[in-house]
Amino acid sequence: MNYTLKENKKINEKYYYFKHKSGLDVFVIPKDLGTYYSVFGTKYGSIDRTFKKDTDKEFITVPDGIAHFLEHKLFENEDGVDTFSRYAEYGASANAYTSSDKTAYLFSCTENFKESLEILLDFVSHPYFTKQTVDKEQGIISQEIRMYEDNPNWRVYFNLLRALYHNHTVRIDTAGTVESISKITPEILYDCYNTFYNPGNMVLCVSGKTTPEEVEAVCDKVLKECVPVKIERKYEDEPATVCQKNITEKLEVAFPLFSIGIKDNDVPLSGKALMKKQAEHDIILEKIFSKSGDFYNRLYNEGLINNKFSCGYERGISFAFADISGESRDPEKLLSEVEKELSGYIENFDLLFSDEDFETVKRVVYSKNVQEWGSTEDIANIFMDFYFMDGDMLDYPDIVASITKQEVKECFMNTYKKDAIAMSVILPR
Amino acid sequence: MIREKISDRISLNISQTDKFKTNFLSIFFSVPLEYENATEYALLPKVLLRGSGNYPDMKSINRRMDQLYGANMSGVVLKRGERQVIGFMSGCLCNKYAFEKIDILKGLTDLINDLLFNPNLCNGAFLQSYVESEKKNHIDYIKSLKNNKNQYAVQRCREEMCKNEAYGISEYGSIEQTEKVTPESLYRAYKNFISVADIDVFFVGKCDKDVLTDDIKKMFSSLTGSRISFKPQIITSVSGVNTVTEEMNINQGKLTLGFRSGTTIYDEDYSAFSLFNEIFGGSPSSKLFMNVREKLSLCYYCSSSPEAHKGLLFVASGIEVENKEKAQQEILNQLEEIQNGNITDTEFDSAVKSLINAYSELDDDPYSLSLWYYGRFLAGNTDTPETAIQKIMSLTKEDVIKVSRNVVLDTVYFLKGVNV
Repeated sequence: MNYTLKENKKINEKYYYFKHKSGLDVFVIPKDLGTYYSVFGTKYGSIDRTFKKDTDKEFITVPDGIAHFLEHKLFENEDGVDTFSRYAEYGASANAYTSSDKTAYLFSCTENFKESLEILLDFVSHPYFTKQTVDKEQGIISQEIRMYEDNPNWRVYFNLLRALYHNHTVRIDTAGTVESISKITPEILYDCYNTFYNPGNMVLCVSGKTTPEEVEAVCDKVLKECVPVKIERKYEDEPATVCQKNITEKLEVAFPLFSIGIKDNDVPLSGKALMKKQAEHDIILEKIFSKSGDFYNRLYNEGLINNKFSCGYERGISFAFADISGESRDPEKLLSEVEKELSGYIENFDLLFSDEDFETVKRVVYSKNVQEWGSTEDIANIFMDFYFMDGDMLDYPDIVASITKQEVKECFMNTYKKDAIAMSVILPR
Repeated sequence: MIREKISDRISLNISQTDKFKTNFLSIFFSVPLEYENATEYALLPKVLLRGSGNYPDMKSINRRMDQLYGANMSGVVLKRGERQVIGFMSGCLCNKYAFEKIDILKGLTDLINDLLFNPNLCNGAFLQSYVESEKKNHIDYIKSLKNNKNQYAVQRCREEMCKNEAYGISEYGSIEQTEKVTPESLYRAYKNFISVADIDVFFVGKCDKDVLTDDIKKMFSSLTGSRISFKPQIITSVSGVNTVTEEMNINQGKLTLGFRSGTTIYDEDYSAFSLFNEIFGGSPSSKLFMNVREKLSLCYYCSSSPEAHKGLLFVASGIEVENKEKAQQEILNQLEEIQNGNITDTEFDSAVKSLINAYSELDDDPYSLSLWYYGRFLAGNTDTPETAIQKIMSLTKEDVIKVSRNVVLDTVYFLKGVNV
């Protein structure tokens, strides 16, 4: 087998890539750390509600929350041995997560890496769903949903998605509702599984003291050659405008939480264009809203925000937005301050963003990304995240370093407009 | 981790490695947890990080951090038994990844030195505007602890359980005490704090050991005195179960069971207790997860976590309100199972391997590693992750059953979801 080696000498990192004969893309990122970390992911999340295989006649629409439900159910095996117990035999620590556009299965370990990797590939490749086990899971996931209903940070985030998007399925809660998951049956689970869990739609990212040879041998043992499946996904048309300027919900909180979103309609992007854009947004947000900036310090001194204030650029397959979140006694006033700040930059970008500041901000963003290469967990997960967007984590620090101020300015002018802003607020009851 | 004594009450602990791209530096101050001081001590990191002599406001501090490639520093307030710990945890990029030749770590230690020992003062007190603003933030912080319902239910259980003990004092202090703080009183508290606190510094990363040691020595050169003598207050017997139910307008009920564990990190058999906890509710192959969640489908989470310095154990779960008795009964059943010696070989082996893995992974997580060592140093426990692994490997089921029999239920706290 030929492995493709790619290196970034500046940050002293590299990876090996190979396409396994099953059709799976595999990335091995060697790291001289004691902890091995592997993540096996599929490009399938809560936004994939209507879809078909190329061999199917009709599109099907599945109950909300099914990608997440499927993630739970894969841990069950035909022989009745729970997957956690299988890992436990080798001491590995396992978990999984589902987001809007992907589902990921992972483990970390310090010994028995090959055995644990075999379990990972094996249980994800062998679905086993029965009516009885589906019913049982409904009780567990209902409690997970109830827990999130009481979680103000989650609610403020999801309400923001509902404010930003009219039709895009990202506005649906990842876990669905107690009602929607009650409609899930083993048959629908198999439909989803057979569509999205084929090697061509998946990736394996492994980081630790291992080699591509070692990883390939385990893949050979477990993964069969597969007929490629072509997936067609149907997403609703999404208008450029925000759906609602403001969504407010009352919960048991001490004082208001807010999340302000700036909808980015320049999607879907992939590959280098996407990474460039990510870097531009990272730089913009760092400049305008970071703790060393005028905005944060002025509002903190006025008591309008506290140190829970944060910002970030969120992007998934087919959606993207900037998110500014925190706690404030007066979210309305805060919103007008954000709008004022952004319009200030629209009028006087060059004046407000000096060349010296630009270089400093760039090095902060660059440094954060370089430091992500310190943990096998961060590496494998971030690597997968970039992969699903046809990006490459290894290129990212250089892309940040190469961004020009003019590019950042254009990105800012195109996106940070007043009518792209929506706000979600959680008020005390 | 190599430990060196800088003075009677100051230690420097260094773990040299070049496997990270970040250098990690943590400074922990520990004092006895006392109602009259807790609030002001908890406020100190907040006020100190507002401004120093050379960096008079937050903006100038953060701009300096930016110049140092986005170095970061945050204040933490912890409780370890009847100790209040104020920590400053920081990290910065390793020099060799910078665009130019620069000593980032040196820049960071200089900045920390200024923040800790050269505060921004006015007429021999902290700046009134900073103190007033952080008082307000602190009160908000205490009030907003209830936002996280999972943690809040455990916190309330702990408070109810230990309300007549020093441990029951919140590490954040109280709202009433916060309101009384003045710039003068806080400065007096600061002077007192640095003159008595035990100080332990942890570094994980790549540095010139002599240079760092010199810098740390200089930083603390004005501090004299010796370690505070400390005796943990451990209660092992219980007279009757205390039941507390509170209502909140939420969807899910939060059940927390507070136990006296009978074993602390000061004890020889602490490793047996760690293993017991792992079997009981410490992992997804534990009895609580396998039974309360997987078998009975009562919850999404049900896990146990020890307070090692105080000899407490908390089991936390989120359930439907009407399932409270059923869940409580099952949790207690599972404890009884262990106490009666019903541990399968698989359960035992899984727990052993799970703990060994957790200790082995510590080495790759600098913050957790520092906190792990620090917790043990405080208790005079000289384990390293390697020796902790050796101890776990030498344990038998009987060792686990023995420590499990000391675990007794003290308090049942139920945060009952009601629709008002």
